[in-house]
Amino acid sequence: MSNINGKVYAMNAITPMRPWKTWILRAIFFVLDHIKPLQADLINLSFIQFARWVIVPRNRFPHLDESQKQESLQYDYLLFFSNFNGTWNQYIDAFSAVLSKGLDLIWRWSEKFPGSTPVTIFKEYIARVQFDTDYYYTAYPNATANDVKSAHIVVQAVNTLSHDAQSLSPEQFRDAYLEFLISVQAHLGDTGEAPIVF
Amino acid sequence: MSKLNATDIQGFVLRGYNMPYARYGFLHFENSARARDLIRRLLGIVTTGRSWDQGKPQSTVNVAFTYRGLVKLELPIATLISFPVEFQQGMKARGGILGDTGLNSHEHWDELWRNETQVHAWLAINALTTDALEARTGQLQELMQETGGARVLSYQDAAAIVEDGKVTLKEHFGFTDGFGNPDYLGVCRSTQPGQGKLMPDGSWAPLATGELLLGYADEAGELPVAPVPHILASNGTFMVYRKLHQNVGTFRRFLDTWAARYGAGDNFAREKLASKFIGRWRDGTPVESSPDKPDPAIAQDPNLSTNFTYGEDTAGTRCPIGAHIRRVHPRDAFGFKGRLINRRRITRRGLPYGPFASESDASPDLDTVERGVIFMALNASISRQFEFVQQQWVNYGNDAHLGNEKDLLMGNHAAGEKYVIQGDTNPANPPFVCAHLPNFVELRGGEYFFLPSITALGMMAMNLVDPR
Repeated sequence: MSNINGKVYAMNAITPMRPWKTWILRAIFFVLDHIKPLQADLINLSFIQFARWVIVPRNRFPHLDESQKQESLQYDYLLFFSNFNGTWNQYIDAFSAVLSKGLDLIWRWSEKFPGSTPVTIFKEYIARVQFDTDYYYTAYPNATANDVKSAHIVVQAVNTLSHDAQSLSPEQFRDAYLEFLISVQAHLGDTGEAPIVF
Repeated sequence: MSKLNATDIQGFVLRGYNMPYARYGFLHFENSARARDLIRRLLGIVTTGRSWDQGKPQSTVNVAFTYRGLVKLELPIATLISFPVEFQQGMKARGGILGDTGLNSHEHWDELWRNETQVHAWLAINALTTDALEARTGQLQELMQETGGARVLSYQDAAAIVEDGKVTLKEHFGFTDGFGNPDYLGVCRSTQPGQGKLMPDGSWAPLATGELLLGYADEAGELPVAPVPHILASNGTFMVYRKLHQNVGTFRRFLDTWAARYGAGDNFAREKLASKFIGRWRDGTPVESSPDKPDPAIAQDPNLSTNFTYGEDTAGTRCPIGAHIRRVHPRDAFGFKGRLINRRRITRRGLPYGPFASESDASPDLDTVERGVIFMALNASISRQFEFVQQQWVNYGNDAHLGNEKDLLMGNHAAGEKYVIQGDTNPANPPFVCAHLPNFVELRGGEYFFLPSITALGMMAMNLVDPR
């Protein structure tokens, strides 16, 4: 029952939209989805493991069976899910500092969205629309997304070296080993405990 | 933005005095009314940011208060509770966040700081000569006696290191220190590229005033969180005080041990290794600008000494990814043209303390002699600026893709920690890993202070703070 699991934070935010605005956001998502460079900033924020926006139309809410009465809703909803490393404040600070235009484009169709700058009222808004996580599993609580990506690079390089080494002379191995070291030298960080949240 | 009202801002905030001697007195207020009387008497003495048209004064006086000091001065409760929570808690209570554990934990602090509740104020003297320092000390002591407002718990002396009869900017490990503070809008001083914030076109511009001072817009376009009323906070700031002991013997032995295996293992290898720890050669030349040798033409040119970025060096082949200056001021190392770091900048003040041990000094007690630096940081938000840098960049490394690795120099190391110096693509210079990192620096105490404006000092002296 926590948004935090080791070094990872799970954020869920749900915001209501007037249905006619949903169509505008759909068009924006269509464009964002098809023009990959527009996603670059989000992807380059290396402490974000995952971020996704989903539109849930008011007539598409889960309906378990016939006995459950259909709801009559006034708003469509925008769900935002994100898993990131670091603190809530750090994450939203970074969002506001780096992605404010993109965030505004996506969230401005939601009711009472104040804009992603200045950051304090943006934080107040997120805090208001955020839903706490009931169950949160993470495979590597002591690792960040960066750590996992680095580990992949190191493992791959070790495997390649190990494979090539079978057929190398000692001199060739020395060169291959150096090449291996240089290829992993920026990816040798340690995993461990997360810093205390503040 | 026009110039700031320098006569209302304590001079210590607006400029590094660049004076060779300092004395920091830590005061305990005996009685609130008498303490206020002392502050009233100090009002005419405190050095403001006003320009020194007649040249530098012989000495300066500045004052700041702990949260407990403000409580003792009987500020209204509505004002007291409006201070940021980290300031109310104080440094000792923030030990977990700051990584002040193990050797750095408060059991090992100086007597003065172990019972932090007694420190109410910081009264600082900077001076050009020891005579001026003593004269000013005498004057302040007289004031304290006359008013009965405060008792000095202890004095901390600090002084620039003198070598061959010349005042230097060196600290005890032998590195040039104390230059390259951030520029802020409205703060008049000679600026140089690399000191403010990086702009999209690659130039440097001053940071928003609100990153340094309360009452002004910060980099997010907001007023920093500050106590009420506004007039009490405005033109003031927060100061972090830390006494950092330096284990000079440990540092030199560590350099010897690893330099024997680095490069040719000679004295040049030792100097190059030292430069790879910090990100600067000992004379201040940035490794990023000159990876193969110190270059006085760069170190001494204000247009070059702080003017560099890491964007072309993402693999750390020039300046290691974990080098001290790259961690604490990452410039563009995290991408986004530095926008992720502009709200984490701090202004540093302070001087070394203790006797300087020359390189030829082989005495066995190099670690135990009292020496180090008095580190003071000024910032509008202790939690967003100093604490963030200390926790995320000094004692942690995810932003730099270094996982849990800590700053080699400042980090509070545990067993088994390492430091990676990325090699360049020349096989003669492969990556190099230093292991078994000891603690080169140990915290001997410190506290968070509020450094008020002259107006605020007056309100406090007259007991006229109205929180509304």
